[in-house]
Amino acid sequence: MSNAAALRDELQRIVGESGILPDAQIANYTIDGLTPKAVVLPASVWEIQDVLRFAAAQHLSVIPAGSGSKLQSGNSPEKVDIVLAMTHINEVVEYEPADLTVTVEAGIQLTALQEKLADNGQFLPLNPPYASRCTLGGIVAANASGYLRLRYGTARNLVLGLRVVHASGTVVKSGGKVVKNVAGYDVNKLYIGSFGTLGILTEMTLKLSPIPARQALLTAQFQDMQAAAKTGLSIVGSQTLPDFVNLLVNSEHAGPTLVAGFGGDAETVTWQLEQARRIMELNGAIGVKEVEGESFQKLNDAIRAFAESENESRTVIVQVNLKRTDIAEFAENVLTNNAEMLALLGSGVLYLKMEQVEGLAETLATLRERVVAAHGSLIIESAPPELKQQLDVWGPVAPRARNLMQQLKARFDERNLLNPGRFVSGI
Amino acid sequence: MPQKEQLIAELSDLLGPRNVLTDATALSVYECDAAPSFKAMPDVVVFADTAQQVSDIVKLANKHNTPFIARGGGTGLSGGMLSVQGGIIIALNRMNRILEIDYENERAVVEPGVVNLLLTHAVQNEGYHYAPDPSSQKACTIGGNIAENSGGPHTLKYGVTSDHVLGLEVVLPDGEIIELGGVIEETPGYDLRGVMIGSEGTFGIVTKAIVRLTRNPQAYQTALAVFETMDDASNAVSTIIGAGIIPAALEMMDSLVIRALEEAFQFGFPLDAEAILIVELDGIKAGMQNQTDRILEIFKQHNARDVNYAKDDAERQQLWKARKSAFGSFGRLAPNYITQDGVVPRTRLPKVLRRISEISEKYQIPIANVFHAGDGNIHPIVLFNERDADQCERVEHVNMEILSVCAEVGGTITGEHGIGVEKMDYMPLIFSDADLQVMATVKDIFNPTGLCNPGKIFPTPASYAKLGLQPESASGGLK
Repeated sequence: MSNAAALRDELQRIVGESGILPDAQIANYTIDGLTPKAVVLPASVWEIQDVLRFAAAQHLSVIPAGSGSKLQSGNSPEKVDIVLAMTHINEVVEYEPADLTVTVEAGIQLTALQEKLADNGQFLPLNPPYASRCTLGGIVAANASGYLRLRYGTARNLVLGLRVVHASGTVVKSGGKVVKNVAGYDVNKLYIGSFGTLGILTEMTLKLSPIPARQALLTAQFQDMQAAAKTGLSIVGSQTLPDFVNLLVNSEHAGPTLVAGFGGDAETVTWQLEQARRIMELNGAIGVKEVEGESFQKLNDAIRAFAESENESRTVIVQVNLKRTDIAEFAENVLTNNAEMLALLGSGVLYLKMEQVEGLAETLATLRERVVAAHGSLIIESAPPELKQQLDVWGPVAPRARNLMQQLKARFDERNLLNPGRFVSGI
Repeated sequence: MPQKEQLIAELSDLLGPRNVLTDATALSVYECDAAPSFKAMPDVVVFADTAQQVSDIVKLANKHNTPFIARGGGTGLSGGMLSVQGGIIIALNRMNRILEIDYENERAVVEPGVVNLLLTHAVQNEGYHYAPDPSSQKACTIGGNIAENSGGPHTLKYGVTSDHVLGLEVVLPDGEIIELGGVIEETPGYDLRGVMIGSEGTFGIVTKAIVRLTRNPQAYQTALAVFETMDDASNAVSTIIGAGIIPAALEMMDSLVIRALEEAFQFGFPLDAEAILIVELDGIKAGMQNQTDRILEIFKQHNARDVNYAKDDAERQQLWKARKSAFGSFGRLAPNYITQDGVVPRTRLPKVLRRISEISEKYQIPIANVFHAGDGNIHPIVLFNERDADQCERVEHVNMEILSVCAEVGGTITGEHGIGVEKMDYMPLIFSDADLQVMATVKDIFNPTGLCNPGKIFPTPASYAKLGLQPESASGGLK
C-alpha cells in the first residue's frame, strides 16, 4: 500500500476518526528524518490488536510511542510506517493508597499520575528527563530514570506487573499487582527497557512511596572535579541517606557545582544537611548554600531537564555508566571537549551534552572504548541522524548475549514489526 | 545401565572420584530440600570447584542426554532442586569464595556457594551488610537466593534479591560461560540478568555474582506489640503503610505460633493473645522517635494491648530470635507441615486471614501463621501427619483453597519460595495459557534441550484437571 492517504483511511476504520492524527500534525512524529505514513491513537486494547494485525498483513512497521519525547533516541529505524501513540489510553485503573501501589494505563502522563497520588501524600519516585510530558509507558519502555534513582531505584525496581500486546495481537501479562512475586519467570524485566521492540505495553502496576515531609538540598562550588567528586562520594558513603548527589559542570560557573539533596522527616533532614555541610566545608567547598521550597523545585527541574533535547535538534546527549569511583577521572578528561555535564554521582551515571560537529562520532567512539575497558557503557541518548549513521547509539553487546537477545526478538515479534532497527545489535 | 556407568566414569575422570557421589546412602542426602514432602533420587552428585568445571560437567551431561541440576544449601521450600527425572546434581557448596569487596562502590563479587549470612559477616566490621535476609540465611547460599529471587523480613524496605544483584557469570545449559549485567547498574540490551534471577535454576547455573552491599543503618528501633484479634493486627499493618511509614520490617505471628514458640523457647509471650506484630524501623537516628511515636499511636488505635521496645541491641536480637525461631518450633505442633507463601494486597490481609481460618475449620487441619505482613506475604503453616492418608487428602484441598483465595484478591501464589515442583499445579490460577507460553518461549531460548533442571514451574495436563480447568486453546502466545 504505497498511498499514505489510503492507508490512513484503512486505519481509520479500526480506530475511528478521533484515533487518527490529522495530516498536518504527522510531521511532529518524524523520526530521524523519516515521517510516518500515519499516526494512530488507539482507544482500547482491541484497537491496538487490530492495528497490529493490519500492520502484519500489510508488512508495515509499527513504532510504539507515548508523548513522543524520545523520538530522537535509539538507532535510526529501518522504516517508519505507523506510529502507535498510546496517549488516549490513559486511565488510572486501580489505586488503593494503603497498598502503596497503583495500576495505570500506559498512556497516562507522569504529571497527571503524580497529581492524583499527591492527594494521598504519595508519589512515584521516578523523575526522568521529559518528566513534564512523558508517559508511564514511555518511561518503562525506555527504563528512563532521573536523579532520584540513588535512593529509589529505577523502573526495574518499581514495576510489579505489566500488560503487553505482542506483535501477533496476543495480550499477555507478566508479574502481578503485589510487591513480592516469584511465580514463574520475571518476564517484566525483559519488557522494561526493551524500547518497544518486544510488545506494546498497555498497563502497568507500580510501587509507590510516601512524599517526604521535607525536602532540601545543599549546593557548593569547587575548584576542580576531583575535589567535588571526592566530597560527593564522602557524602554518599556517610551515615546520611541522600536522595541524590549530583555534580554539574556548565558555563555558569568556573568550577563544578555539587548538589546533595535529602528528604524525610524534618528533623532527619536537618541532621543530614548539617552532616553534608560539614563534609563539604572540610573538603574546600566554596559558598555552601541551603535550598528549600520553590527554589529547590526550580533547581531540580533544571537538573532533570539537563538531559532533554527537542526532536530534530542538533544537540547530542550521551549517558555514560561507570563505577562511581571512576566518574571524576573520566569527567576531567572529557572537560576539554567543551561538553556540559551532569553526573548522578552516587549512581555512577554521567550525562554529557554537546552540539553535533564533524568528528564527534570519532571522539565518542574513542570515549566509548575507554568506558567499555572500565566495564562501563556509553549510550547516545539523543542525536541527529548523521551521528547515528556513524555510530551505534547503544554500543557493543557480547556475542552470545547478543544471540540470546536476537532470538528473543525473533520469537516475540516474528515479523519484525515493532520498532525495527532501533535497539541494540540491529534489533 | 552401561550409559550411566560411562557418564559416572567420565565425571570421575573430570573431577576425581572423591568429588563424585554414587553411593545410595550418600545420595539420599540430596533427594530433597527443606520441603521434605517431595523427594527424588539423583543418579549422581558431583562437587564443582570452578566455572570451568561446571561448564565441563554440563557438556558431559549434554553428551549423555542427562538432566543436571545445581544445588546450594538445600534450604529451598518448593522442591526447586529436586532431580525429578534423575540425573546429575551439581553441588556448588565448595565454590564459596568471596572474590572481591569494594566498599566505595558498595559491591562484592562472590561465588554461588557463599552462605548468605557469611557475606554479611565478612563486611560487617566495615559497617555494611548484604540486604536480602531469608530466614534460612545461616545456611542458604547466594546462588540459591539468585535462583529463587529470595526475599526475607527486611525486603519490605530494601527489596528482593533482584534489586541487589548487578552482574552474573552463568554457565548456560549448553556449557558456554557468559557474563550478564556487570558492575554498573545498566548495560545495553534486554535485561537478561533480570530474567535469569528467579528462573529457579532452569536457565543455567550461576557461577559468580556481583552484588550490592548496603551500609548498616545508624540506628534501629524494634518493637513488639500484642493484639487481641488478628483483624486488629492486620488493620494496624495497612494503617502504618498507608500513613507513609515504611518500616524496615513488619512481621506477624498468630496464636498457634505464639504457643509453639512458648513451648519450645519460653520467650514469655502471652498465650491468650491472637497476634503479635514485630516492627522494626531503621535509618537515621534524628527523627526516628517521631516515627516510633506515630506507630505507637496506630497500635493504640487498633487496640494493641501491650507494646515492648527493645532497649538495646541484645533485646533487639532477642525479638528477632523469636521470629526466626518460629519455624524450628512447629515440630511441636504436628509431625509434618507445609509452608505456603502467597502474597496479597496489604489491605486484603484481614479478609484473607479470616478465609484461611475458615478453611482450617472446614477441613479440620490446623494452620499457623507467621509472615511478612508489611509486604502482604503470608506464610500459612499447614500442619498434618503424612502417615494419615485422610489428612493428606484434606491438606491438598487446604493448599488449593488458600492459593485460590490469594489469586482471587489479586495476589500471587508465591512471594519468595518459588514454584519448583510444589506449586506448578497452581500456576493456571494466576497465569493464562498465553502468559505461560511466553515463559515457555523464554525457557526454550535459554534451555532448548530442557536438560537444565527439568520438570519444574510449568503446569502439566494433570494440573489443569486437578484445578477443574481446561487449558485454553493454545492459539495465543508465542511458539
